[in-house]
Amino acid sequence: MRIRNAVLVALAIGAVMYFGLELQFPREALHISVKAEALTCIGGEMDTAHPGECKSGFPITNSLVTTVIVDLLLVLTILFGVRKAKMVPRGFQNFVELVVGAFHDFAVGVDKKNVAKFFPFAATAFFLIMLSNLLGLLPGAGSIGMCQVKAKAAGAGAEVSAEPSRYADWPLTCEAGELLVPYLRAPSADLNMTLALGLISVVLIQYFGLKSLGLGYLTRFFNFREGPMFTVIGFIELISEFIRIISFAFRLFGNIFAGEVVLVVLAHLFPYMLPLPFYGFEVFVALMQAVIFSVLTLVFMSMATQAHGGHDDAEHGAAAH
Amino acid sequence: MTDEGLRFVAMALAIGLGAIGPGAGIGVVFSGALQAMGRNPEAEGMLRTYMFLGFALAEVPFILSLVFGLLIGFSII
Repeated sequence: MRIRNAVLVALAIGAVMYFGLELQFPREALHISVKAEALTCIGGEMDTAHPGECKSGFPITNSLVTTVIVDLLLVLTILFGVRKAKMVPRGFQNFVELVVGAFHDFAVGVDKKNVAKFFPFAATAFFLIMLSNLLGLLPGAGSIGMCQVKAKAAGAGAEVSAEPSRYADWPLTCEAGELLVPYLRAPSADLNMTLALGLISVVLIQYFGLKSLGLGYLTRFFNFREGPMFTVIGFIELISEFIRIISFAFRLFGNIFAGEVVLVVLAHLFPYMLPLPFYGFEVFVALMQAVIFSVLTLVFMSMATQAHGGHDDAEHGAAAH
Repeated sequence: MTDEGLRFVAMALAIGLGAIGPGAGIGVVFSGALQAMGRNPEAEGMLRTYMFLGFALAEVPFILSLVFGLLIGFSII
């Protein structure tokens, strides 16, 4: 009962503050960027017409900054965890062994025979994706940044930005006509990162398949010996390998980016208490997407290394190819 | 209706209609896996693997419609 009263009081105070501010100032325009914005350009200059883009040079985007932070966190964790490795672990080493061991047990459940081959990539992908998803949910990740001048050419947009913002004289806000480019952005909310992960995963799946089955692995794509139906099935298998890249990339990108958009829109509609359950759900989604990516990689790898039927001889694959 | 507005309607329709089938399919996958786990708890590890595989296969049409919806919406095709 006491918690319910506290929630109701917070909602009432929030509603009063919200509608008071709403009457006083016009609503701020919502800004969502699908792609990662450039913070600075190495060996080039920023595009003044479009904020967050480089006219020339190598763009340092906000998701690249976050990726480097995630990499440093992972490398430092492992370095400090196994620096003075003992047989009986204590302290921080205990924690690292617990986390890695839990995922290793999970991977053994998927494929017991080849787990030593598959585990390094799957575990790296799991921890990288989980940390990068969670870092994007860190308070301040999408709201602290630098101000870049907004494009004047965008007719309707210029009129909206000319109005004074509700928070115009608060600290950490941009002037009217300027756009906030956050310093940190979840790496998984950038399609480049997820596409790279999907490509690495699918290429590794083909590598393990070719390594364990030899050229006979190719018979599942090019099968002309057993009639036209298997030829068509092989063709569909070949296309589905390419669809895997797209589905890996867009599943991760779509889930994390959609989560960020939901949080931004809800905080825009009513900033008090309403985004809280969705924030909890996004933490769950962040963990779930990391699990799904690594489990699917493990399952596809284990499927690629298993010969199907009894017709996987090497010269057949070479002849068919 | 302007050309740009028509594009946004097309994007919304592509993504929204493409989400119907995979939504039902993912529900069927997980309900079947949960029933099987309830009946035979020893097979849970193997079932979990195939559950995620079925989930991934059921989600492919939605991913495709999402990709095509974004391609239409950002006027790439």
